[in-house]
Amino acid sequence: MLSQLIWWSSIALEIALLVGGLRSRLANRFPVFYGYVGFVVLQDLVSFFAFEWSPGVYKGIYWVTEFAGLAIGSLVVFEICKVSLAAYPGTARMARNALAIVFLAAVAKGFPTSAGWQPTSTALEMERALRTVQAAAILALVALFLVYSIPFGRNLRGIMLGYGLFIGERVICLTFLSQQNHDFWFYAYSASYIAALGLWLGHLWSYQPSPQPNICVQLEKDYQRIAAATRRRLQETSAYLRRVVRS
Amino acid sequence: MIELSSLIVGVALLLLLMAAATKGWLASRQSEPRLAASEEDATEPCPEEFVNRVFSRRDWEFVRGLKAGSIERLFEQERKRVALVWVRQTSAMVRTVVREHAQATRQSKNLEFSTEINIFAQFLMLMGVCGILSVAIQIAGPLWLGDLAHFAQRLAQRVAKLQESFQAGVLANTGEAGSA
Repeated sequence: MLSQLIWWSSIALEIALLVGGLRSRLANRFPVFYGYVGFVVLQDLVSFFAFEWSPGVYKGIYWVTEFAGLAIGSLVVFEICKVSLAAYPGTARMARNALAIVFLAAVAKGFPTSAGWQPTSTALEMERALRTVQAAAILALVALFLVYSIPFGRNLRGIMLGYGLFIGERVICLTFLSQQNHDFWFYAYSASYIAALGLWLGHLWSYQPSPQPNICVQLEKDYQRIAAATRRRLQETSAYLRRVVRS
Repeated sequence: MIELSSLIVGVALLLLLMAAATKGWLASRQSEPRLAASEEDATEPCPEEFVNRVFSRRDWEFVRGLKAGSIERLFEQERKRVALVWVRQTSAMVRTVVREHAQATRQSKNLEFSTEINIFAQFLMLMGVCGILSVAIQIAGPLWLGDLAHFAQRLAQRVAKLQESFQAGVLANTGEAGSA
């Protein structure tokens, strides 16, 4: 009963989100994100009818569409990165390096030791491993956005917060979820998407422009000068702290 | 093992998103210019002579000479408060330096990953020192901080000497083994 409620409320919220996106023309600005939401609506409807028709077929459809959703979701992360950092090439470069490090670390950690990447591991273990990599990538991006004070418009902030919340919740639920029992974590796993949908609906009902940077682009050689000045100021503060405490 | 790392990543992501949401919410509320100057606006460090006085025991010895318990307690409370304000000001100054750096360089096309990581590590170290100082002042008070710093320094020197003598011993042993 609770599963049915989660299922139908997800579909209703997704359709409301899509209608809102088409009405406000936000779907043109964030095509990958709205494509992802459209895909999930389709996934939910197909899964529902498959479940009614044959539970065996449903299992196969569920896992195939779940992994396809995971791949399209990764494209949403790239869209957030591309749109938010379009005016900040320096931070975009840092983001590319940070993402490369996250993926290399995931590959290095996953291949030799864990069950996450082996052919014998279950679909659930695979999903947990892949979602963890996705969560680590979003974590690195959000940390960069905070450090470099990247200004976000309401719409883009909503997409990032909603998708991050969904992935964070999923990773936590997948850690405790068991395939046999329909316990709290099973319902929390299903309901995590509803929380994200609520956030998206609140932030994406109407278009709000993103704030543009008002500082002119620095000359190429200026970076070295600024970085040297920052390091000098931090070293001076460090020496100042040492002198005061030891006095 | 992967379950634990997944859990840590998931919780860290949710906490960071909360920080991002709070920052965005605060930024949307701070559209009007702030009137009052605060500790967060600090750009220059407090004069060293003044700060040395806060951590100095000279005034404390004078107050103790008065043999009045209430004045001693008041003095300690006030000194602690001033010392904590100084730590907060210093950490705000460090944050301002890094914020200004980030705002100036985020548009630069030739931003260097290693330099940025280096600056960020320096920033984290300074924030850690400020955090430790704050806890030490809360626990021991500013008057004993100098003694604590000297004790830590002596301890570090002793550990370094021990390590040197241990390394010398290991090298001597390997030399003897090699010649035998």
